[in-house]
Amino acid sequence: MWLFYLDSLQDALPFFLKGLWITIQVAGLSLVMGTGAGFLLGILRSARIRALNLLLAAYVDLIRGTPFLVQIFIVFFILPEWGIHLEAFASAVLSLTIYGTAYICEIVYGAIRGIPRGQIEAAAASGLRWWQQMRYVVVPQALRPILPPLVGQYVLLIKDTAVVSVIGLTDVTRVGWLTVQRIPNGILVFGLVGLLYFLICYPLVYLSNRLEARLKVEESTL
Amino acid sequence: MVENIEAIAGTDGMDSKMIQFRQVNKWFGSLHVLRDVTLEVAPSEVAVICGPSGSGKSTLIRCINRLEPIRSGEIFVDGMAVHERNADLIRLRTEVGFVFQQFNLYPHMTALENVTLAPIKVRRQKPAEAAALGRDLLAKVGIAEKAGSYPAQLSGGQQQRVAIARGLAMQPKIMLFDEPTSALDPEMINEVLEVMIQLAKDGMTMVVVTHEMGFAREVGHKVIFMDEGQIVETAPPEQFFKSARNERTLMFLSKILSH
Ligand SMILES: Nc1ncnc2c1ncn2[C@@H]1O[C@H](COP(=O)(O)OP(=O)(O)OP(=O)(O)O)[C@@H](O)[C@H]1O
Ligand SMILES: [Mg+2]
Repeated sequence: MWLFYLDSLQDALPFFLKGLWITIQVAGLSLVMGTGAGFLLGILRSARIRALNLLLAAYVDLIRGTPFLVQIFIVFFILPEWGIHLEAFASAVLSLTIYGTAYICEIVYGAIRGIPRGQIEAAAASGLRWWQQMRYVVVPQALRPILPPLVGQYVLLIKDTAVVSVIGLTDVTRVGWLTVQRIPNGILVFGLVGLLYFLICYPLVYLSNRLEARLKVEESTL
Repeated sequence: MVENIEAIAGTDGMDSKMIQFRQVNKWFGSLHVLRDVTLEVAPSEVAVICGPSGSGKSTLIRCINRLEPIRSGEIFVDGMAVHERNADLIRLRTEVGFVFQQFNLYPHMTALENVTLAPIKVRRQKPAEAAALGRDLLAKVGIAEKAGSYPAQLSGGQQQRVAIARGLAMQPKIMLFDEPTSALDPEMINEVLEVMIQLAKDGMTMVVVTHEMGFAREVGHKVIFMDEGQIVETAPPEQFFKSARNERTLMFLSKILSH
């Protein structure tokens, strides 16, 4: 029986790879955009502009305080009510970007706050404008503490892409659902789905751990 | 018309002053840290500020390049009204170099990059030109061979000399020093003081918060003694040490001169 399932699973493999490709596209696009927006908002948050800060804090709390599943439903089902029609793929990328941006914003903001005040004062005293202080002095130093949690966040976001299957996007998780109806061996089918996620995520988990370890060594030698 | 004439007369009067404080007051919350501070520093003058911990010395010197804003009063630096809301901070800070107690070098940049960052990004100098000037400055402070070293690879004295070179790189008219030798091991204090003394002899306008009274004696033109946010006494160094009258000054002097 298992042999038979394995055989049909092999036939279904192109279908899985197609799903994997969707997962990779959704994850890749939203990670790139979320990183850009997260850095921008994280840097803006450290500008200490009261109104902007309240707004960004509210955004971050709102996103972190609600399930991603609900967020993606809002984007997919409620935006059309307001006349904004997005395809499943665009909805998935948009909601994941909004979601990822909030977490990345906090990582960046936290790291920037950890940079000693004297660094910013030295940069300001030499005549650099605020964005130049950020660009040349603060952010380069913040990258070290940012990278390990950022890569860790990437792993979480990639795994969270599984949720996009609920709006009908045929990502690798949905391929699993569709396949298990033809090949009724859940362990085998979702074992394969899990393996595919693991193959993408593990290198990042490994990288994150290595970065973390390197940071610890550097801190202890300082 | 009348306003105009006054404005012209105002700036005329300022020409002989590099730095001028008029009735400056500053609060941190409910703490009144600068109380009616009035002072003047002429071009090429070296003013030494001393006083007990918490008396407001750092706050005062940080007001000069507006690292700290003030509540009331006026501050003029080379004719610029620093206290005004729309003061051109970039221009102000290119004319005023600042050296911190803790050096505050950028740890991710080499000594030379620390020195050339502002000239390249603010003055828009060509990198090669800025590097040439930067190397000259590092040579001037006696560490030409450390241009490629990172701050973590330098001793405290060397780091502080890089910081001085960084301040000089914008070719400022004024240099401010906030306890530049207090974070240094004793054997490194002199190498930094020598650089500062040379700078003073070259005619730089300087305001120096320090308890190094040897420095005050050698190149200082006036010593300003602060206590509890007020300027208690201002006098030329010799007179300050010999015949300080104020009892708070005397108490302070007996403390710092006894060790
Ligand atoms: N950012 C700040 N917020 C609140 N209070 C401050 C701040 N900076 C300084 N103060 C307080 O203002 C007073 C004056 O501080 P300042 O640093 O100017 O003193 P100082 O004369 O430089 O002392 P020290 O010799 O210890 O450096 C102190 O009581 C200090 O605690
Ligand atoms: Mg101080």
